[in-house]
Amino acid sequence: MSAATKASAGRADVLLEVSHDLPLVSLTVATRNGGMFDPPGKEGLTRLCARLMRRTGGGRDPQELDTRVDSIGASVGADVAQSVTLFQGTVIRRSLDAFVEIACDIIGRPGLAEVEFERLRREVLAELVESLDDDRGLARRWFRRKMFEGHPYGRALSGTATSLSAISLDDVRERARALASSEPLFAFSGDIERAEAEALSDRVLGVFSDSKPLSDPTPEPTMAPGRRLVIVDKPERTQTQILIGGLGTHAHDPDHTALLVGNTIFGGTFTARLTDEVRSKRGWSYGAYSSLPFDRRRQAFSMWTFPKADDAAACIELELGMLQALREKGVTKKELTAAKRYLTRSHAFAIDTASKRVGLELEGRLYDLPPGYHAEYTKRVAAVTLDEVNQALQARLPEKELLIVVVGTASEIRSAIEAKIPDLGSTEVVPHDAEA
Amino acid sequence: MPTPPWLSKLNEKAKPYGKLTALEPVAFGPNLRVERYRLENGLEILFCPDRSAPVIAYHTWFRVGSRHEREGKTGLAHLFEHLMFNELEGRKAGEFDRLLEEAGAESNASTWLDWTQYNISIPKDRLSLVVGLEAERMQKLVLREPQVVSEKEVVANERRYRVDDDIEGSVSELLWSTAFTRHAYKAPTIGWMPDIQGFTTEDCAEFYKTFYAPNNAVLVVVGDVGSSRLLELISRAYGDIPPSQLPLEDVHPEPAQLEQRVKEVEKPTPTEKVTIGFHSPAFGDWDHPILSLLIEVLFGGRASRLHKRLVRDLEIASEVRSFVGPFKDPGLVELFLSAREGHKAEELVKVLDEELERVKEEPIEPEEIERARARFELGLLAGLETMDGKASTLGFHETLLGRPGAAFDRLDAIRLADASELRRVARRYFGLNTRSIVYVRSQAPAASGEAS
Repeated sequence: MSAATKASAGRADVLLEVSHDLPLVSLTVATRNGGMFDPPGKEGLTRLCARLMRRTGGGRDPQELDTRVDSIGASVGADVAQSVTLFQGTVIRRSLDAFVEIACDIIGRPGLAEVEFERLRREVLAELVESLDDDRGLARRWFRRKMFEGHPYGRALSGTATSLSAISLDDVRERARALASSEPLFAFSGDIERAEAEALSDRVLGVFSDSKPLSDPTPEPTMAPGRRLVIVDKPERTQTQILIGGLGTHAHDPDHTALLVGNTIFGGTFTARLTDEVRSKRGWSYGAYSSLPFDRRRQAFSMWTFPKADDAAACIELELGMLQALREKGVTKKELTAAKRYLTRSHAFAIDTASKRVGLELEGRLYDLPPGYHAEYTKRVAAVTLDEVNQALQARLPEKELLIVVVGTASEIRSAIEAKIPDLGSTEVVPHDAEA
Repeated sequence: MPTPPWLSKLNEKAKPYGKLTALEPVAFGPNLRVERYRLENGLEILFCPDRSAPVIAYHTWFRVGSRHEREGKTGLAHLFEHLMFNELEGRKAGEFDRLLEEAGAESNASTWLDWTQYNISIPKDRLSLVVGLEAERMQKLVLREPQVVSEKEVVANERRYRVDDDIEGSVSELLWSTAFTRHAYKAPTIGWMPDIQGFTTEDCAEFYKTFYAPNNAVLVVVGDVGSSRLLELISRAYGDIPPSQLPLEDVHPEPAQLEQRVKEVEKPTPTEKVTIGFHSPAFGDWDHPILSLLIEVLFGGRASRLHKRLVRDLEIASEVRSFVGPFKDPGLVELFLSAREGHKAEELVKVLDEELERVKEEPIEPEEIERARARFELGLLAGLETMDGKASTLGFHETLLGRPGAAFDRLDAIRLADASELRRVARRYFGLNTRSIVYVRSQAPAASGEAS
């Protein structure tokens, strides 16, 4: 096993991990051009554009292209996040050449026909309606929106009914040109050697026009003051979906690794404090976890639980108390030792396949992670001290600026929850079918 | 098969039930090989050497699932799966998980109609810990009242999450309890809520004693370890565990469904939905892979027939899905269609019926069959990327069919299936008057009385 290697191939920037275990090859063509570049009022443009490119590659009829992709034993998708757009797929080795030709068609020669644009927009609007059935998804959408209100990270990647209606075909065509002129990164893994990967990358690079590096103008997000409760009101909920959080970590923070270790102890594993108190001791929620994702700017820290409606208030009270105790008293040496062992040893499963290894390398490049972020990860974790973890928790965990989002039936849970949140600044009840 | 010298030597010093018999190895696809052994107590062992990464997948499959439950006690197999992560004799509660996490392991478990499986993936230098712990929990689980009470509440919350507050989960449950009247498949694996809340510690202890025995289990190990070291560890750890007298199964065949059964429910959802169940063959039946291929033609991906007509051309559905239940006994091929706003579920069913009648009459084009076959092949290969994926595939096929490499046999069957076979299974299984249907109607919005 070796770290992903960067190869020089014409102008293409190629990451590669070879594995001949299975006759499969995976390819990701990535750009740093994501949904946060959607113009205000036209949220959802990049995702709509990438999906339309995927459907109309080479000017084909979508049905014909999908049949072609399936028939060669391939899967191809377009994935848009706030900061990146990825065209990625996997193919049975025997069809690699045809697969790369399809990639060229999608990125460089999309048809973007008007009839398909209108059809896809109607489909996305129907998906938005359908997504109202997903309580967990609702909690996540409202948490993102309220957490990063006014910041690009708060925008709806899939758009809203209003923003999707404002998007024109010209907008999509312009966005497709922008995606195909952003500097691409190529990541190959699987049953392929370097020379072939380089040649194929150059072929795909040929469809990019004047590709240039894209700077990221996103400002650092800030948090609205006070403790805010947002109840997403949905009828007949026997259960609630709860997200509690605030601003989290940045990969360039000096205490970034220490905070990750602290979060592991708090809510990162099945034996962590949150699971122990919420699930094991009380049986209140099937899952209880906390997370600290990263992006190119500071992202959110959040705790996630889903207790029944009658337990929601008590569960929130418990979580807030645990968060306060963590911030004030920190973690113990015994907990730190266990967490470091877990993180360093389980890293084996972050790098046990070629696609995972190349994925980490790609992530480092796309998100401007510090050099050696993944390669030196276990060493950094092993070097973290108890003081560093506790200082990081004290400095970074949210206290006064806190967002609590609950999906549930407001009339049944609101007053009980409000009574359990000390220093609550505001409560907002939003209908579950409001745009988010 | 002749016993290799290293195994004979190992057997000389084995514990009472620790002697190993080597069985014929079997192929697992074109490149992999699976060694097979059996301990004296009946424990089956499958080992697939794989040195592509310094990790090991260690799975334990028990031949017990919700099919073994009786009325009033549904959900016991699943609740018990949760309890298996609690306390072991001589160890503190929670120590099992703590030890595994400190070793860097990833562990989980699942229960379905026919089986329960426990999976642990571990860095290769911590293998002995996993073998020891898994052997311990096969015989030394401690069941105490407070833990059973707490875990029942966890499972009740899991049920609220997956079923009660989830439209698809709740209508799927209703579909199965409508389509099955006699066979144990009529009850959901997670159990009915009153049953979950009614379990006693004694129920759990009895279940453990009855079903968690080496002669009711298969160990599947995939990864970077040598055969002799692995088997020495297994023989030592499991060699004291006696076999059980397993009860005869008490499963009743499902009588043929001779009429269409229709139910309706109201849910707080903006769009109508419909789920439909046709009785399908058992996983081991010759027809199962052929029917699965037909479902791929009809529902697999955006180029499939139903997606094309309902989502793309007519734009009356937002989603269409289907799968053929992979079960020991005949199950259901389950269809799920979600209507777009303003459309009735019946509109979708009308188009569906036209397409089902079409595959009963007109031969499917070779290109469509080829497309579906390629999707199958890609799906199988992609599922084998990790050691855990390989172990799951081996364990599932061994537990259900007694043939660990059968995933590739199914691929062969799919390669052989032609338009005639597809039409035959369409005619056999898509009886429009012998199916079950659950319609989901949109409930009129009830004001919560809250405003901001």
